[in-house]
Amino acid sequence: MQQVNKLTPFFENLNFERDDNTMVINFGPQHPSAHGQLRLVLELDGEQVVKAYPDIGYLHRGIEKMAENMTYNEFLPTTDRLDYIASTSNNYAYALAVEKLLGIEAPRRAQVIRTMLLELNRIISHLFFIATHALDVGAMSVFLYAFREREFAMDLMEDYCGARLTHSSVRIGGVPLDLPAGWVEKLASFCAKVNHEVEHTYEALLTENRIWKMRLENVGVISAEDALSWGCTGPMLRGSGVKYDIRKEEPYELYSELDFDIPVSDRCDSYGRYRLYMEEMRQSVRILEQLIPMYAKTEPQLMAHAPQYISAPKEEIMTQNYALMQHFVLVTQGMRPPKGEVYVPTESPKGELGFYIKSEGEPYAYRLKCRAPSFFHTGLLQEILVGTYIADVVTIIGTTNIVFGEVDR
Amino acid sequence: MRKYTPKDNVQGKSYYTDRFWVAPRVPRHEVEEGSHFADVVKALGRKAKESYVEIGQLVVHIKASENFNVLKTLKESCGYTQCSEQSAVDYLAKDGEFELFYQLLNISEAKRVRVVCRIKKGEAIESVVPLFKSANFAEREIFDMFGIKVNNHPFLKRILMPDDWEGHPLLKTYPMIGDEFASWYEVDKIFGKEYRDVIGPENRDPARIDRYDTKRFSRVGYEVPFGADISEGEKENPIEYSETVLVDYTKSSKQLDERR
Amino acid sequence: MAQHQVNYASSAGLPIALTSVDKLVNWGRSNSLWPLTYGLACCAIEMMASGASRYDFDRMGTIFRASPRQADVMILAGTLSKKHSEFARRLYDQMTEPKWVISMGSCANTGGMFNTYATVQGVDRIIPVDIYLPGCAPRPETLQYALMMLQKKIRRESANMNNNTKQNLRLV
Repeated sequence: MQQVNKLTPFFENLNFERDDNTMVINFGPQHPSAHGQLRLVLELDGEQVVKAYPDIGYLHRGIEKMAENMTYNEFLPTTDRLDYIASTSNNYAYALAVEKLLGIEAPRRAQVIRTMLLELNRIISHLFFIATHALDVGAMSVFLYAFREREFAMDLMEDYCGARLTHSSVRIGGVPLDLPAGWVEKLASFCAKVNHEVEHTYEALLTENRIWKMRLENVGVISAEDALSWGCTGPMLRGSGVKYDIRKEEPYELYSELDFDIPVSDRCDSYGRYRLYMEEMRQSVRILEQLIPMYAKTEPQLMAHAPQYISAPKEEIMTQNYALMQHFVLVTQGMRPPKGEVYVPTESPKGELGFYIKSEGEPYAYRLKCRAPSFFHTGLLQEILVGTYIADVVTIIGTTNIVFGEVDR
Repeated sequence: MRKYTPKDNVQGKSYYTDRFWVAPRVPRHEVEEGSHFADVVKALGRKAKESYVEIGQLVVHIKASENFNVLKTLKESCGYTQCSEQSAVDYLAKDGEFELFYQLLNISEAKRVRVVCRIKKGEAIESVVPLFKSANFAEREIFDMFGIKVNNHPFLKRILMPDDWEGHPLLKTYPMIGDEFASWYEVDKIFGKEYRDVIGPENRDPARIDRYDTKRFSRVGYEVPFGADISEGEKENPIEYSETVLVDYTKSSKQLDERR
Repeated sequence: MAQHQVNYASSAGLPIALTSVDKLVNWGRSNSLWPLTYGLACCAIEMMASGASRYDFDRMGTIFRASPRQADVMILAGTLSKKHSEFARRLYDQMTEPKWVISMGSCANTGGMFNTYATVQGVDRIIPVDIYLPGCAPRPETLQYALMMLQKKIRRESANMNNNTKQNLRLV
């Protein structure tokens, strides 16, 4: 222990007195580039990281415990707070898991709207990624530009569901609302804008930027084998040359009907992953553009018809006695899915977001496990940070695109 | 008499269940001959105690002591190269057991297998970190949340909860709002136990309103200064509403003209 | 509010503005509030959005600082978990006087929807809070309004911080 007095103050972050000439520094949990509440304990030899120990749990809120104490519909708004950058992807993953358990399917219009919202959220999340990643690496202007476009996407979300960040825009069995008038046109103009900005702002500023390339190339290299073993999914896996996208391989919703490509990068480094994110935004725009004409061709039904589990539409509740009774029971007691267990993976912007639900036939889930992509990407940090320089630590944290709401849950 | 509440499961329960209610079961299908899953079951041989397909995924029940060998077989001969998730379910109240599951993914076939095993309370499970590095964090989480020990884990330590935490939060015996230790954790840690009286207990009732609290609640029509003592009662302070001129647009525009 | 534009015509051409020390000091304090970037959860994203292009916090003299030693205001944006609470208190202690705290979002105010074992039920259990900002998550406009309310509050205070009554936790 240090002798603390006025002349030798106590540095709680630094422990100088070590026998082996290495220095231990503490990074976080409050650090502007830690993407939330990541705490890293790094052992340094000069500037090189010898050992990295990610300490998580600073945002543990007991969401899985809450799931055991809430009915299925009650829990839905809580899923917003998992990956709060793309809330709808969480709502959707949860709703899909429950729907699989119930054995119901959302009507076609709801599916179109859901897919639209999912892809819009993917764009929001990727814009956020590029904003914060560039800010961490030192490109402040990209942050401002990316947030400008992100606000337009948030406006669209707000027009649809009224919330900017925590959407709750998907319900079990469908969506609560139809698209407001003129929304589709706004979406089309937003798509054009994103396409333009990706090419003329972000890529123009970054792709050939000397500093950006020096900071990102050959930084955070993950081999395909390591990526699989560490449970990497999404862009982290595809950035290592493994072409696996749940939207393509295990299609859900309308993805089997849509025409889009899965970008893959063989570079295995942060720069390759940055290129991947840019390409994915283009693909999302492509999906959105295909969805716009599909929307017009659908029937107006928004919620699945399953009176045992899902309340009837408002008009029926107000006019038919039996629908009102069902609604009363579903609201006061909650739906009772059949006994069984289900694990449903979906491709969230960060990677594979899956919900494991164990139901015992009660209105409360017996066990709900959220498989969060960021949790496993954080685990990966303890291996890929070793041997890198301390200046690259921030780049590597940025490239993993972790969100602490879903790491700690 | 106080209402009896079971102590071994304090999680949310339905307040009313019909006497004749029998929960249906999600259909479980036999593994089809000649499918990919049939090969998996064949490769596992007698290690698979029970196997069926539930909602598109193969579920294999195994003995807990064989978990490492089973996952090794699946990884090396069936191509399940990614362990996407592993966790536990608490069945202590019903069977005195934990159910553990491993969710595996085959990238080339796009197939998923769930390996399920059960262990008794106090038993340990073999770590699968040599096979799947993702198990490093996942097994620490199992240990943290359920207190299940994992043999041969490189660094078995609490992951989500602080190191000095007491109890394992996802056990069914652990209430959602926490126990005594949890409710005073931050006060004890920052200020010390002697400050419990100063700071007071947590307010877990979201609808609680303190009648005499003038710091956090305003009282429309009875406004008092911030922090004033109102235990003796407060004076009425009539509200002055701004006047609204009601205009009947359908009849005439005379009133509007007057206002202009 | 202090008169910070000298009216040369009215004071016989002399560049003199008469005001009280309180007003002068509070004018300085309230117009350059530097918050600590203390993003904890979802609200941190809205805090970032208020600093970014559309909402532009800089025009209010608000520049986010990463170090508590340079900050005046602590914006606690998001859920404070029990594991994190000691760090929150330590960062608060590291801030130099005068300092203020904005508790942003329902989770920071009362624990919000997370009525669980792992969440601090209101940050006012461990640090004194000046402004409570409701919403889950509050919009950037709300944060800006809260900051303006805090400016108002500072202007009302005495420049000598010892004269101000703060909540009892300050001396702990």
